[in-house]
Parts: sequence; structure tokens; C-alpha cells
Amino acid sequence: MPDPANNRFVVSVLVGDRAGILRDIATAISDMGAEIDGVSQTVVEGYFTVILTVSTTAGHVPDEIKAAIEERFGTDEAAIAVRPYGPGSPSRYTTEGDRYIVTLTGSRHLELFRSLTAFLASKDINIEDWYMARAGESVTHIGEVSVPHLLDIKQLHDELSDLAGEMDAKVHIQHENIFRATNDIGPIKSLLRTKPC
Amino acid sequence: MLRTDNILNTVRMLQEENLDVRTVTMGVNILDCAGPDISAVVSAVQNKIRSKAGNLVRLCDRLTTRYSLPVVNKRLAVSPASILLEGHTAQDALLLGKALDAAASDVGVDLIGGFSALVQKGMSEGERVLVESLPQVLAATERVCASVNVAGTKAGINVDAVRLVARQILKMADVSKEQNGFAAAKFVAFANIPEDNPFMAGAFLGPGEPECVVNVGVSGPGVVKRAVERLVAARPGASLDEIADEIKHTAYRVTRTGELIGREVAASLGVEFGVVDLSLAPTPRVGDSVGEIYQAMGVSKLGAPGTTAAVALLNDAVKKGGAFASSSVGGLSGAFIPVMEDHALAQAMADGTLTLEKLEAMTAVCSVGLDMILLPGDIPPETIGGIILDEAAIGVVNRKTTGVRVIPVPGKKPGDHVDFGGLFGSGTVAKVNCPDGAVEFVNRGGHIPAPIQSLTN
Repeated sequence: MPDPANNRFVVSVLVGDRAGILRDIATAISDMGAEIDGVSQTVVEGYFTVILTVSTTAGHVPDEIKAAIEERFGTDEAAIAVRPYGPGSPSRYTTEGDRYIVTLTGSRHLELFRSLTAFLASKDINIEDWYMARAGESVTHIGEVSVPHLLDIKQLHDELSDLAGEMDAKVHIQHENIFRATNDIGPIKSLLRTKPC
Repeated sequence: MLRTDNILNTVRMLQEENLDVRTVTMGVNILDCAGPDISAVVSAVQNKIRSKAGNLVRLCDRLTTRYSLPVVNKRLAVSPASILLEGHTAQDALLLGKALDAAASDVGVDLIGGFSALVQKGMSEGERVLVESLPQVLAATERVCASVNVAGTKAGINVDAVRLVARQILKMADVSKEQNGFAAAKFVAFANIPEDNPFMAGAFLGPGEPECVVNVGVSGPGVVKRAVERLVAARPGASLDEIADEIKHTAYRVTRTGELIGREVAASLGVEFGVVDLSLAPTPRVGDSVGEIYQAMGVSKLGAPGTTAAVALLNDAVKKGGAFASSSVGGLSGAFIPVMEDHALAQAMADGTLTLEKLEAMTAVCSVGLDMILLPGDIPPETIGGIILDEAAIGVVNRKTTGVRVIPVPGKKPGDHVDFGGLFGSGTVAKVNCPDGAVEFVNRGGHIPAPIQSLTN
């Protein structure tokens, strides 16, 4: 009997976007008798990308899963990677802190994204989700990040503003609750599970 | 998962449309400070305010940083001071007023409300002491705000109290004539005063309220104005129901922002959260005006026929959006029309398109009443009494709050300009039609009985 813990895989697929990609991947995996445990998918400038975790009790190896998915695409259409998700795989990275939203707007600047992400990393601020959009010469970054409790938000905001100012950009960092309050419909009380300031 | 367009909408409201929290007002019960020795009373009041509100401003400032959301005003509201003045003198009332002023200064708030009395059915000795002391107290203090409830739907209108209050308003103006009668700007006469209103000058902690509570006033009118402007720019032919819908959705977001801040402040201080007051409270700043909302709707000259309907539309839409957003809506909750504090309304008064009588009509459908209106310095007390009676009648019959905050300006005539500066703004002295036309009626005094609407059981 195979050990389920040793029969989990992480799968990523990068392919030009079209209708039916997730159907093709899901069909390939289910036809092998495997279960899909988690999915995160997005499209960036016409490129579809998905990352999945998969478990199977049939004793598959990574190359078998990769081959099964490749069959659903044309030659060289998709870039597929499959890795074992077992002992030694990364556990979910967590930061003792609250989730904040970073928004940055400015003109296209080679250093902008690099400087911003380097700054966040230097503060041990984990990026959980990031989105960037261009409109002509202007660019907007939106990031969901975990800010450690120990950091002083005012100081962080001031340092970020200085950094953005050097590149003629504007940056804001705000607790996610303000966005949930203005856009969700659940009771406000449900947002206040985080530590009061 | 937050959607990027929703994030950007919220950022726009914060950064470009002046989304803020207009006031966080902590209510503090000071009735346990009552006693026969006024020195002990004022000492106890100051100690209690310092212990309850010592961290209020610091916490609000922290939340401002956390959310990049300004908490514009941090204020206090205390139990009706008249109750502490039972058995005391006018001199004691002055000491109490100064103690409240000092305590407010100590904890860093800009205004403290609750130098108040509820006299809609009659007046106790303590209440009379408070009303008699109002001119001296308001002239001698910087932060103290006062209010007297002279009428209620269940009680009718206490005309004797109205007459006394009218005379006191003139005295307030007189003792502060060097400041153009500014003391009167810190006083409101109410009908159906709410016990949980966070806005000044009428805030106080009602007898039915908790020991200590945080009430919040939502963002100013700038956000709603921009929402209407955006809709009209996108759809120039937008109908009034579309505008009402847009306002309702905006009010929803604004209300939830206010509740979020209020609940966090209350939780951090370990006190109860009270209500979100939906009122759109303007400031004299351009872009922060209720009058500009009516202009954005298409009322190019404020005061023109149609203005009252615009007020009603705005007031109703704000309430509907807010009522869905929160189960803790209270206070005044609607649209304010404080003339001096709203540059568009003040300009309309100066231009003559907006008159006192039209404002009175608007108060029948807004959330408060005649607010921050300059009157000629030689106005008779009976005329001020008549103005208060008219407003009280609107409130009593329609089961709503109405208030009168008028400033007779010593030495000034209709059309003269007066500037108080800061949040209190500037304006033009209004013309009052037939200023002595109801003297006999007002001077009859007594009591106007509660209307038939009061018999609801």
C-alpha cells in the first residue's frame, strides 16, 4: 500500500491562454486516478499559469504525471513541471503579523519593482499575492503582504514613501481590513479577529 | 480574495476623495461624580475623564496610520451636566464648565459636549442653573459645547424654556461680542435630541447610554460628491433614482469604514462600541461640502425650487446605504446643512438664492435643523424664540430631531460678512422676514401639547 504522504506532487503548467486548459489538466489527472488537492491559477498578459497539488495512491512517479498532462497539449505548447511534495517540501511560510495591502503607482521605471520587493524582503515582509498592470507609461502594483507585528507601520510607510519618491512613484500600505470593510458584506465584527492596535 | 478593482476603488476613495472618519466621540458617564461639594465634583469629573479618555487620541492616531485613514476629530461627550448641578449655583456651574474644558485639553480632544439639559417637559433647579450659566460658561471656555432639549414628540414643546433659551442665546452673543458672538456657535437648542449623537455642538451621553462608549461620525460629504460627479460624467443623463442608488452604495462603504474604526477604538480601550452616525458633516473646505452634492445632482443655484427634494433624496439614500451596512446606526444620521461650515451653502446665502425660510423647509427632510446661521445683532429674543418654535414644531410633528444653532452677531446687519475661522467657517448675516410678527404668540409662553403622533401605544 503506497504511503499517501509520499505520493503527493506539486504540478505547474505554463501555456498560452485558451478555453479548456483546466479541463484538459483535470481530465489528465483524474484519468490517472489522482486527486487534485489545491489549485491557484491566473493569466498574465495572455499566458495561463496554474500550480496544483496532487495526491495519488497508485504509486505514480513525477514523469508519469507530466507525460499524462503533456498528452493533452500540442508539442512544445506547454511548459510543465512536476515535483514530489513529500518530506522536505516547504511548509507554508507564515509571518507573525497582519495582512496589509501595498499599492504603488508610478511611471515605468526599471528599478521600481526590484527596489520595492527588495525593501519588503529586507523587512521580512512576505508577499502573498502580487498584481501589476501597465497603462501606457504608468504602472500599478498591488500586493498582499504579511507585515510582522514588530514593525512600526508609520515608520514602514515613511520609508516606503521615501523609496517611491526617489522614483517619482506613490506608495501606500494599508491594513487589509479597510478593503474588506468597503467591499465585503459580512459583519464588521468578523474582521476584528486581528490584534487590536 | 480581494479584487484588484475593489482595492483601487478603496484607494481612490482614501487618496482622492477625502474618505475619512469625521469624528470618534467617546461618551463618558460622569453622574457618579455628583455631590454637594463642587470642588470634589470637578475633581472627580476631571479624574474620570482622564482615566477613561487618556489614550483616545493616541489610539485614533495609530489607526490613522494603520489604515491611512484620517480620524479628523477626537471628541468627548459626557452625561448632562445639569444633573451634577442640582443643589448648586451658577458660580458652581462655571467651575464645572472650566473643569470640563481643562479635562478635554488634558486628553487632547478639541471639543467636549454635554453641558446640557433636557427640559422638554419642565425645568428642575439644576437645569435652570445650567441654562442661566450658559453665557458665562461658553464665553469662559474654549472646548465646551452645550445643548438644551426644549421639545419632544412625546412631550410637546416647552415654550417657557424656548423663551429663556432665546434670551440666553442673545446673552451668549453679547458676552462674546469681541469674537462676533462666537459663544453662541457652541450651543444648540434641540427637539428630540438623540442620546448617542457624536457630532458637536449637540453631543452628550444620554441617560440610557453605557458607562463608557465610543460613537463614530462617518466620512464627510466629499466622497459622495465625487461618486455623483463620476456617475454624471459617465452618464450625463443619469436619472435621480440612479443618483440615489450611487449615493446609497457609497454610503454603504463609508458607513462600514466608520464602524471598523469605531469598533477598533472601542476594543482597544476596552469599552463598548455604540453607533455609527451616518450624517454627512461638511467643513468649509472646497470639496467637503453637502451643498456641492446638490450642485453635482443638478441644483446649480442652491435654494432654487427642487433643493428640498435634493436634500430629501440625499438624506434617504444615505440612510438606506448606512442601514444595510451596519446594525449599529444611530445619532442624527442624515445630511447636515450647517450654513457657515459649508462653503457652497454659505455662498448661496451670500448670493441670496438660499434664504432662512428655504433652509427651514430643507430642515423638514434633513437630519438636523437650522445650523450655523448668522443673525442680525439687534434681533429680538421673541424672533429667536419663534425660529426655535418653528424648528421644534417640524421635529415634534415629524418625529425627527431638529436643532437650532444660530449666532446673533452684535453690531452686524443682514448682508454683513463674518468669519469665525477654522471648522466653524464664515458666512453672511441672514435677513429674517417679519422679525417682530409673532411676538405676542411667543410671549404667551406655556407649553404646546404633544401632537397626536405621540399617542403610539
